[in-house]
Amino acid sequence: MDTFLIHLLNALLYASVLFLIAGGLSLIYGVMRIVNLAHGNVYAVGAYATAWSVGRVLGGGQPSPALYLLLPVGAVAAAALGAVIEPTLLRPLYKRAEEYQLLITFGLLLILEDLLRFIWGPYPLSASSLFEALGSLTIGESVYPSYNLVVIVVGAIAAAALWAFIYKTKFGVILRATSQNMRMASALGVNVKRIYLQAFTLGCFMAGLGGAIIVPQQGAVLGMGVDALILAFVVVVIGGLGSLEGALLGALMVGVVREFGIAFFPEVELAVLYFMAAVVLLIRPAGLFGHV
Amino acid sequence: MLELERIHTFRGTAHVLQGISLAVNAGEAVCLVGRNGAGKTTTIESIMGLLPVRSGKIMFQGQEITELPPHERAHLGIGYAPEDAGIFPDLSVAENFLISQWLAGASGKAGSSSSSSEVQDRILAVFPEVRMFMQRKGLNLSGGQKKMVAIARAMALSPSILLLDEPFEGLAPVVVSRFIEAVKKIKAMGISLLIAASNLTTASRVADRLYAIDRGEIIFQGDPRSAFANEDVMKTIRG
Repeated sequence: MDTFLIHLLNALLYASVLFLIAGGLSLIYGVMRIVNLAHGNVYAVGAYATAWSVGRVLGGGQPSPALYLLLPVGAVAAAALGAVIEPTLLRPLYKRAEEYQLLITFGLLLILEDLLRFIWGPYPLSASSLFEALGSLTIGESVYPSYNLVVIVVGAIAAAALWAFIYKTKFGVILRATSQNMRMASALGVNVKRIYLQAFTLGCFMAGLGGAIIVPQQGAVLGMGVDALILAFVVVVIGGLGSLEGALLGALMVGVVREFGIAFFPEVELAVLYFMAAVVLLIRPAGLFGHV
Repeated sequence: MLELERIHTFRGTAHVLQGISLAVNAGEAVCLVGRNGAGKTTTIESIMGLLPVRSGKIMFQGQEITELPPHERAHLGIGYAPEDAGIFPDLSVAENFLISQWLAGASGKAGSSSSSSEVQDRILAVFPEVRMFMQRKGLNLSGGQKKMVAIARAMALSPSILLLDEPFEGLAPVVVSRFIEAVKKIKAMGISLLIAASNLTTASRVADRLYAIDRGEIIFQGDPRSAFANEDVMKTIRG
């Protein structure tokens, strides 16, 4: 029973981070119809920025509770990056075919990877002091890192906050209207350029937050963005690109299958995920919550 | 109030509007009549800024708006209801109205300070039946209901002029009469109207003046009676 509970918590941990990445990817696609291939490395920027800032402030000293306030640094850095990328690199391509947007975001994915290497070097960055400082709790006869619970709670709060933001605020209603009919929204007075900038920035903020909260547990390494992007795509294929509910359900499914896959059939863990995505594609090509 | 001077507009490589000039005066209802493909929707979309104008000038209340983006034109007081109604399918009718109301408030234009109940009153004065499906999603409305919501939503912006693209198209005759009555009410509120219509008989029931358009050119302008008396116009419009 304890083992099952720990597997379940691990699944929720994966799902929390995956939801933040895939939710951001889905939000951007839902509003702007852009498949942002650079999204994985935006997540990595969040991880690197938080690890770097924690390292700078901590120096060689002991971690204090105030250090946890640095967690959002990565999210803010990723949002700032998004706020620069959208108007400068993406906006000029909106009237072109989708292939151009795929090409530019793929190019960005590679450029960001090199930029991370250029700024922080080829070696991993760690913020594990935040992970260790919280210690562990005992579940039955097993111990479980307390920090993982922080990640799960942050993921849950982020999902609830995003839902409330999209469905219960004025901005959310305008965002949904723009995603459903951009021309009509602009004819009613919506400044679509501003909405696109805000949606892209928010999507990048979510990816950055995912990177920021997981970096104390996993560290920041080159290539983490590409790995995360692949899993995020599995999530959105299952849930439906453009749907936040789909991203949440997809992240939970991938989190559970991956965790139990690692535990019980580690050789084919990723294959099972892709198989699941393939089955969904065959049965519901737009994903469980997607619109055809 | 609204003036188009020698407007040329392309759709892709097709040269659709070939030097259109027309005017709508304050408080006037003007119809743009023509067959399908004559250039009516292109004219409306050019005025709204949804299609870029290649050359010519669009003036609204003494200000040139040719290069303004659509949202700024809406803030100046140009309301728009497209042929397909453009209802946001996953939003409720109430949310469709709220968007206009919020944006009218954000624009800071005259009349935008109206309270939400005043806006509701204005909408319901034109289409009281909208009250029945306020909580329904756009997706679940009939064609006629969508057109009602589109016009009412444009009214929530407190516009000075309304651009209605084929508001009577696809409606049952009894519903057309209902829409004509609504258009007359809007006009009585002092709001100017430019209505694109394919049916000259229907257009003549609401228009003070009308323009006939064919192959992207204005071929007639005058009152409805003169249009009926003009054989060339009748032949062109009826095909």
